[in-house]
Amino acid sequence: MNDISHRIANQNPDVIANRLLQKAHNRDGLPEIAIGVFFLLIAGMMWLTVIFPPRSPIYVASILGLMLTMMVMPLRLQRILKKVRRHFLIEKEGYVEFKPANLKRSAILAVLALVIAVGAIIAAYFGAFPPSSWILAATGIGGGAILALAGRLPRFYTGGAIMAAAGIVVAFARVSLEAGFVILYGLMGLLSLISGCAVLLLFLRQPAE
Amino acid sequence: MSAKIQQLGEIDRVIHEPARLMVVALLAAVAEADFQYLRQATGLTQGNLSAHLSKLEEAGYVAIEKTFRGKYPLTICRLTERGTEVLNKYRKVIKAAL
Repeated sequence: MNDISHRIANQNPDVIANRLLQKAHNRDGLPEIAIGVFFLLIAGMMWLTVIFPPRSPIYVASILGLMLTMMVMPLRLQRILKKVRRHFLIEKEGYVEFKPANLKRSAILAVLALVIAVGAIIAAYFGAFPPSSWILAATGIGGGAILALAGRLPRFYTGGAIMAAAGIVVAFARVSLEAGFVILYGLMGLLSLISGCAVLLLFLRQPAE
Repeated sequence: MSAKIQQLGEIDRVIHEPARLMVVALLAAVAEADFQYLRQATGLTQGNLSAHLSKLEEAGYVAIEKTFRGKYPLTICRLTERGTEVLNKYRKVIKAAL
């Protein structure tokens, strides 16, 4: 407690709250399990688009499934986690009601995502897209950085480093862009799922206090 | 001594205690939380947290409500308006001085 007291005395209350909330959010491993399932679904559907010919029913279904998963799952994730925690884990985790999302911030993020997507489409149309290897390396490194920053725990730093290294290896492996994404998202999904399950099991085994 | 540093002398000592600062900061970031969540998030012991919450409730910074969710008893804590005001003032004083 003395170490914490010393650190807290020098910090902004908002920083303290964010760190504690982040730690609490990642305590049971459920967010990692959800992210793992999300990325494995994405990787699976992308793999189907690689092995099935364009315009085949499975190809089309995979593309639709990809779009639906990418649009719907991130929006529903918080609500799903809240329901699971309240229904199954309330005695171990306690109860918390978060404040409503900051609409202004969500709107800014949505506009930013749209601008990036439109920019990428325009770049692809004019053939100005960077080589596949750069995109794969950037995805691995960027994804790894996001993972490390989002979690700020040793297992997330390790996962982030593995992601970044995988991105660089896949970039040098000269695989197609689609196959590269399948490998990267599949790896990220698998790592998150295994890590999340391990954390959840340890959490459930903790004695009730 | 500059006025900003002198303001440190007026810091609210109820909130300035590290454990209570953790609790108040957490409650400011959420709409409400129960005792068990606060205990897990702050790492404080049951007795310690109970004592600090009593102090905060006495000062009028935290409102505590005992209720049930189905058969599960909940002790729900919320930051009051007074608590929010005091925390905002604390934030300004600390930022200005440091």
